[in-house]
Amino acid sequence: MEFLIFSVFAVVSVAAALLMVLQRNAMYSALFLVLIFFCLAVFYILLGAYFLAVVQVAVYAGAIMVLMLFVIMLLNVAYPEPVDRALGLLRPIGWASALVLASLVAWIAAGSPGASVARTASGAGLALGTVGVAEAGHVQEVAVTLFSKYLLPFEMTSILLLAAILGASVLARKRPDHA
Amino acid sequence: MPGLPETVPTEAYLALSAVLFGIGAIGVVLRKSALTMFMSIELMLNAVNLTLVAFARQFGRLDGQVIVFFVMAVAAAEVAVGLAIIVDIFRSRRSVDIDDVSWLRG
Repeated sequence: MEFLIFSVFAVVSVAAALLMVLQRNAMYSALFLVLIFFCLAVFYILLGAYFLAVVQVAVYAGAIMVLMLFVIMLLNVAYPEPVDRALGLLRPIGWASALVLASLVAWIAAGSPGASVARTASGAGLALGTVGVAEAGHVQEVAVTLFSKYLLPFEMTSILLLAAILGASVLARKRPDHA
Repeated sequence: MPGLPETVPTEAYLALSAVLFGIGAIGVVLRKSALTMFMSIELMLNAVNLTLVAFARQFGRLDGQVIVFFVMAVAAAEVAVGLAIIVDIFRSRRSVDIDDVSWLRG
């Protein structure tokens, strides 16, 4: 059953990703990206990361995509992008290099030392769910890890977000020289 | 359900993540709209997040999930600043086409 759910949503997410990239209308791309975010939330639930699934929907599908859709509508660039790019040869080269990158990552993931480390770990009793990641009190465990081992990065993230707020407001404000 | 494995192996998540990352890379390379490139970068970030969560389950540790949490926070900051830059470019050039901003001089 779990495998069936995974397969269905894997197909949906890959199809949505392809449609997002190939879509010429930025608005449709954004909506396909929302679909991908929801698929990833399903994967997080399958992996036992319930808290992250909620955060995924709230932060990505909620906040980030609303911001993006707002900017797309604000700029009113939902026009069909021109097909010709005046790049000619660069287009097939771009496809080829991206495909090589994807297959390299897949090869590393499937057959390289990293994967054998993963298999060794599962052989050594670190198999799925044995250490209680998917158990009750999961949010509590995440919180304890976040606020003990990762307290300094957490505080640095708050400073980063403050800097992002300031940077975005400075960049987006109306300047007298143009507009 | 005969023939199908009960749980999804970590390798399946890694392969899916690689495919999504590759599609995102294709988007960054091929598209000329800054907004679509931006969304492709988000897709690549999400593919990496999936890898981290899959390994968090594989090793039975929460560190991967906490790092995904940080990646999400950084992505939110990145989107806010990046979209502000795109809006600023659109104000001065009336376009979000990256070919129109290929020179550095303002």
